[in-house]
Amino acid sequence: MEYVSPEGLRLDGRRPMEMRQIRGEIGAVAKADGSAVFEMGNTKVIAAVYGPREVQNRSQQMNDQALVRCEYSMANFSTGDRMRKPKGDRRSTEISLVIRQTMEACIMTHLMPRSQIDIFVQVLQADGGTRSACINAATLALADAGIPMRDLVTSCSSGYLNSTALLDLNYVEDSAGGPDVTVGFLPKLDKVTLLQMDAKLPLDIFENVMQLAIEGCKAVANYIRELLLENTKQLEYRRGV
Amino acid sequence: MVGLSLGEKHFIQGGIAQDLRSDGRKRLTYRPIYVETGVIPQANGSARVRLGATDVIASVKAELGKPHPLQPDKGKVAIYVDCSPTAAPIFEGRGGEELSMELSVALQRCLLGGKSGAGYFHTEKSAGISLSSLVVVEGKICWDLYIDGLVVSSDGNLLDALGAAIKAALSNTGIPRVNVAAGASGDEEPEVDVSDEEFLQFDTSGVPVIITLTKVGRHYIVDATTEEESQMSSAVSISVNRQGHICGLTKRGGAGVDPSIILDMISVAKHVSEQLLNQLDSEIAAAEARENES
Amino acid sequence: MLHSKSFVKKTRGGKVTKVVREHYLRDDIYCGASICKVCDPSVARLSASASTILILDTNVVLNQIDLLENPAIDDVVLLSIVLEEVKNKNLSVYNRVRSICSNSLRKFFVFSNEHHKDTYVKEMDGESKNDRNDRAIRVATQWYQTHLGGATRVLLLTNDRENKRKANEEGISAETVETYVKSLGRPDLLDLLVQNASGDVGMEDVEDLRPSKRKILYTEHKPMSEITSGLHRGIYHQGKLRVNRYNPFEAYVGSESIGDEIIIYGRTNMNRAFDGDIVAVELLPQDQWHEEKSLSIADEEDEEEEGVHLVPGSADDAPRTTGQLQGSSGETAPVSFRPSGRVVGIIKRNWHSYCGSLEPMPKPAGSGGIAHALFVSKDRRIPKIRIQTRQLENLLDKRIVVAVDSWDRLSRYPSGHYIRTIGEIGDRDTETEVVLIENDINSRPFSSQVLACLPPLPWSVSPEDLTNPIRQDLRHLRVFSVDPPGCKDIDDALHCTSLPNGNFEVGVHIADVTNFVQPGTPLDEEATQRGTSVYLVERRIDMLPKPLTEDICSLRADVERLAFSVIWEMTPEAEIISTRYTKSVIKSCAAMSYIEAQAKMDDSRLMDPLTTDLRNMNTLAKIMRLRRIERGAITLASAEVKFQIDTETHDPLDIGMYQIREANQMVEEFMLAANVSVSEKILKHFPLCSLLRRHPIPTREMLQPLLLTAAAVGLNLDVSSSKALADSLDRAVGDDPYFNKLIRILATRCMTQAVYFCSGDLSPPEYHHYGLATPIYTHFTSPIRRYADVIVHRLLAASLGIYKLPVIFQDRPQLTSIADNLNYRHRNAQMASRASVELHTLIYFRKRPTDTEARIVKIRSNGFIVFLPKFGIEGPVYLTQRGENGGGEWFVDEQQQKIKKMDGSLSYSVLQAVRIHLEVVEPQPNRPKLHLSLL
Repeated sequence: MEYVSPEGLRLDGRRPMEMRQIRGEIGAVAKADGSAVFEMGNTKVIAAVYGPREVQNRSQQMNDQALVRCEYSMANFSTGDRMRKPKGDRRSTEISLVIRQTMEACIMTHLMPRSQIDIFVQVLQADGGTRSACINAATLALADAGIPMRDLVTSCSSGYLNSTALLDLNYVEDSAGGPDVTVGFLPKLDKVTLLQMDAKLPLDIFENVMQLAIEGCKAVANYIRELLLENTKQLEYRRGV
Repeated sequence: MVGLSLGEKHFIQGGIAQDLRSDGRKRLTYRPIYVETGVIPQANGSARVRLGATDVIASVKAELGKPHPLQPDKGKVAIYVDCSPTAAPIFEGRGGEELSMELSVALQRCLLGGKSGAGYFHTEKSAGISLSSLVVVEGKICWDLYIDGLVVSSDGNLLDALGAAIKAALSNTGIPRVNVAAGASGDEEPEVDVSDEEFLQFDTSGVPVIITLTKVGRHYIVDATTEEESQMSSAVSISVNRQGHICGLTKRGGAGVDPSIILDMISVAKHVSEQLLNQLDSEIAAAEARENES
Repeated sequence: MLHSKSFVKKTRGGKVTKVVREHYLRDDIYCGASICKVCDPSVARLSASASTILILDTNVVLNQIDLLENPAIDDVVLLSIVLEEVKNKNLSVYNRVRSICSNSLRKFFVFSNEHHKDTYVKEMDGESKNDRNDRAIRVATQWYQTHLGGATRVLLLTNDRENKRKANEEGISAETVETYVKSLGRPDLLDLLVQNASGDVGMEDVEDLRPSKRKILYTEHKPMSEITSGLHRGIYHQGKLRVNRYNPFEAYVGSESIGDEIIIYGRTNMNRAFDGDIVAVELLPQDQWHEEKSLSIADEEDEEEEGVHLVPGSADDAPRTTGQLQGSSGETAPVSFRPSGRVVGIIKRNWHSYCGSLEPMPKPAGSGGIAHALFVSKDRRIPKIRIQTRQLENLLDKRIVVAVDSWDRLSRYPSGHYIRTIGEIGDRDTETEVVLIENDINSRPFSSQVLACLPPLPWSVSPEDLTNPIRQDLRHLRVFSVDPPGCKDIDDALHCTSLPNGNFEVGVHIADVTNFVQPGTPLDEEATQRGTSVYLVERRIDMLPKPLTEDICSLRADVERLAFSVIWEMTPEAEIISTRYTKSVIKSCAAMSYIEAQAKMDDSRLMDPLTTDLRNMNTLAKIMRLRRIERGAITLASAEVKFQIDTETHDPLDIGMYQIREANQMVEEFMLAANVSVSEKILKHFPLCSLLRRHPIPTREMLQPLLLTAAAVGLNLDVSSSKALADSLDRAVGDDPYFNKLIRILATRCMTQAVYFCSGDLSPPEYHHYGLATPIYTHFTSPIRRYADVIVHRLLAASLGIYKLPVIFQDRPQLTSIADNLNYRHRNAQMASRASVELHTLIYFRKRPTDTEARIVKIRSNGFIVFLPKFGIEGPVYLTQRGENGGGEWFVDEQQQKIKKMDGSLSYSVLQAVRIHLEVVEPQPNRPKLHLSLL
């Protein structure tokens, strides 16, 4: 299969180093403390944050930091083939864990002892890169909820097909069976917080592929920062400051 | 989950009694309804309905299947509802299952007329989409419609919102035309060719809307918010179509209701349904126009 | 970076899903014209002087690819939508057009119209996909016209009448290919045009050559949907059609669904399928399974005759015999009861171009007119092909290349078109080229990219090589090489040193090719593709460029060279005590020929160290050989011939059997040992991705012809194991000194060839090498001329931890496909060598009619097949005139393998010696062939 044409275009018309169109929207769930929609091309997720609030299950309460919880779910209609999977299958559990760990690493949990923060991410459409989209949506939702964070963690994936490093794989490219590197990145601190890869990749190529994903994360971070800035200006305006 | 103080409870109940609810509505006024269609591109039809802070998505997927042996001339329709934890933390894990199940069954009853299938779609005079129109080859191939509802944000009256979303999604649905290869007969599986270009639209003018009347104190209200629902004694959901026919009915909530009040509720619902249908139809039309434009 | 989105919806059959894909439109796609002022000139491909820029419709690319490959057609824009359609319809045409695009000498530019913001078109309501794509082509043409603003003519070439009409209406200049080519004034290009293209211009009114014969000859192919459902329900069977090389009216389809081969008799049942096509087959009723055979030849007017050819080297070369064989159980049903069937549809065509010549016909009176001619392929499996030509008189005595275009039900033969001329029939260079083309051998010079990978010349071992810790300095050893005379690509050398403890240190040093051929380089890719060097009688086609083959890698005498060494410590009884492997630097002290080495060993006066080494090695080799034979290795005999070639005219001067000496066997023995040692080492480290070589055990069925012949002369062969067979072959000695050799030759042709495979694809018991009687085997010792050895070198280096294993080894399917390609290339190389020998045999006997001794190897109904040991060829001798078919005068005794005259006056039996007259005859002009007649 030819994923990159000799003219250097991918199946959807992007060049190898280009991301899909990204779009974020703050405040999609009125009842939540913070929420956001994040789209990367045809991948669309909603994140809602509840908290910091009282710990529901007292046995889980921690006296020196906040409890961060996360649940990832996919809508039945999110994939091309309608799926009927029970809640909490292995894949969802794993992604929930990954998102929780990534977000926990950037939340200043020590400022909110004995409290609980819930992050719920719901995939509405899946077209590759759901993990990344979920993390980006969760970051926006946490910011919307006003939860103190060390940095805006952003995520992007990259892969390697037809001997070319590709940024932000869509579903077709993802299913090609090549390596898929997902990176979570703290742009200000310049640190990688999440790194996942399936399939094999020689070390020197891996370096390039990971670097590409990091560049993607930086681009997402720029976008998210602008979005939040705009949102804050709106809030200011509405409050008449 | 709604933690309300005694004062707040009195305020809500008092407002309803005086026909001036906490958000300024009258007892039989709906919140503004907002419809968006085609929100899930990979579905055959989809719609998102917002009713105040309640936000639901419905999608319709069509798959080729085999008709039920007892009803070889009919297609199949199934409705599933899922409550996303984004809407409320109590839906986390298996927390939303009970409500999801309740909503699924209520929608089936209100829109399809119960599991037996001898309901709304079945009766020709209700002029909805007949299940017979879903048959491709009698006894062999039919369309199975899977209707999925997802509650994204919840502020009461989920059932009415889901009902409206399904109606909008159905009117947004295009089912590919199927050509059956000639020659195949007998016990052989017919070869089908699914068209890429031609789509069949549903006539959804006969699809009913659901009106839920929530009884709070001695009065009943439409389109209750979560706070108002926490004060209800019981609720009756009635589905009514264009012709004013009652297509389904379900009662929820603990307290008993006097039969005469139920009859009263039905006539109120019939009245309200007219306004709701008109409003919904114009919203759907506007949404379809917006979708075609982009 | 413009991000405009639009959705393309697809529904896939079976489970119907709606698929949504993003589709980005861009503003940074350039037009590729040098004259364009707006676009980025660095990517421009079209020449500045181009008077016309051609834009091609899909049907033109699909049907006229031969024309496009001609350099006369240039300054072409290929739209991405066209390429996509071509790719979906015909992958091989797609690959060909892609290779034109990437050829820097051609001016073909690919314009990604589907992603350009101005040329993307959205499907309109009720518009079919085809119409939409046609519109996209017109929109793109229009865009070019306006974009270039009349600076050049933009011409759309289309053979779709409707598209052309619409284009003209929209103000686009559009022509058919025929009109355009005619306007170029090049009649030779017209021959390249496919006449009855499926595009709907022009051909309806061309009449058939023989209108009276226009009747339906073949049944209609079933539509694809019916085939699919038929395959599904098990009434049809899918498989690749393979035509019998020796009887083109018989074909086999290996079917997985019934787990057996289905035999297809006759062209009618083959129903227009070609060798290599993937077909759907329907089984005939069981009562017709055996009757078909007699029909097979009778229903065709042109009965083929068996020619004189080289003695087969293995079962793969030998004519397939079906029918007469007895089933393995003996008394049960004869094998002719194998399922036979007929082709109902063709799933995938394997049409390509074929080499051959036109059937002789009178030269036309005038010239320039269109003539119809029949093309006869060199490959007998291919039916005759009808072509039209305007240059008939030029082509009649030429070898030409022809492509197949179509085959309709009314026509006995397929139609095709002329592609190019190779040269005159019978000319040695022409015929050699035919051999190369027929066997898909790339004899083009190496490209500049490949040559750029070579180290600068003159090359010598550098100080870094000597200090490299992975490389051992073995220059002090007395290393020497023994090869055929005149060998320039010396890839192996040996040494043998006596150790103080009485043992010997024996080393095999192999040219370190992988030091120069790095994985992933163009050089490596080229070598992967070529797979092996090809040895023809008068020339060699190298796998690697000459500087590597003959100089840098070649382990020549008195120069320092890099090597990969296998070094054993052996007892005087040739027991291996230890083995080590290392990269090394060696300096060979002598490059001897087999004859020289043999002479040294035989000359008892010589006592120099080198001769002593040779003698020691020879002693060890003899022990090893004996042990190998005891294990059951089979000494097979082949009848290899050797030509003496005139250095100036390159014509053969003498012909004779290749003589095998002790020195040959000595070198061979150590090479075998090195290969076995290396295979053990790599398999231990890489059990899943080693490249090994196996030789399957011949089935009883395959050995049947041998047993039949042996039985006829009263010989009982035990074929239960390779050991048993080897022993009974040893016992097979008659009064006749040549008898044993003859039996061995017959045995050899029953065996299949050894093949390469990836160890992960099979289970260890299947690794077995039957002929050598060893559980595992590989090729390590000839990396200069075989790519398999290059792979094995990399594996061995990785197993020693010297180098990383290249990524390719992690990709099993890729490794398997490399192994398959190597097998394909080896087989082709062998076929080419054989063809080359056959060609030179013919040239040799052209001036030298000869009488010689021959042996009968097979009895036929009207004669017998004889083997000419002196020249290594075999061929038919007819006792009756052709067509008389025995004529009742002769009858065949199957049991005793005898043909007898009715009156009992004469009889010939198998293995009997006869005298034969051998001469070259020309039954038809320009078609010389060898003819054998009984003296």
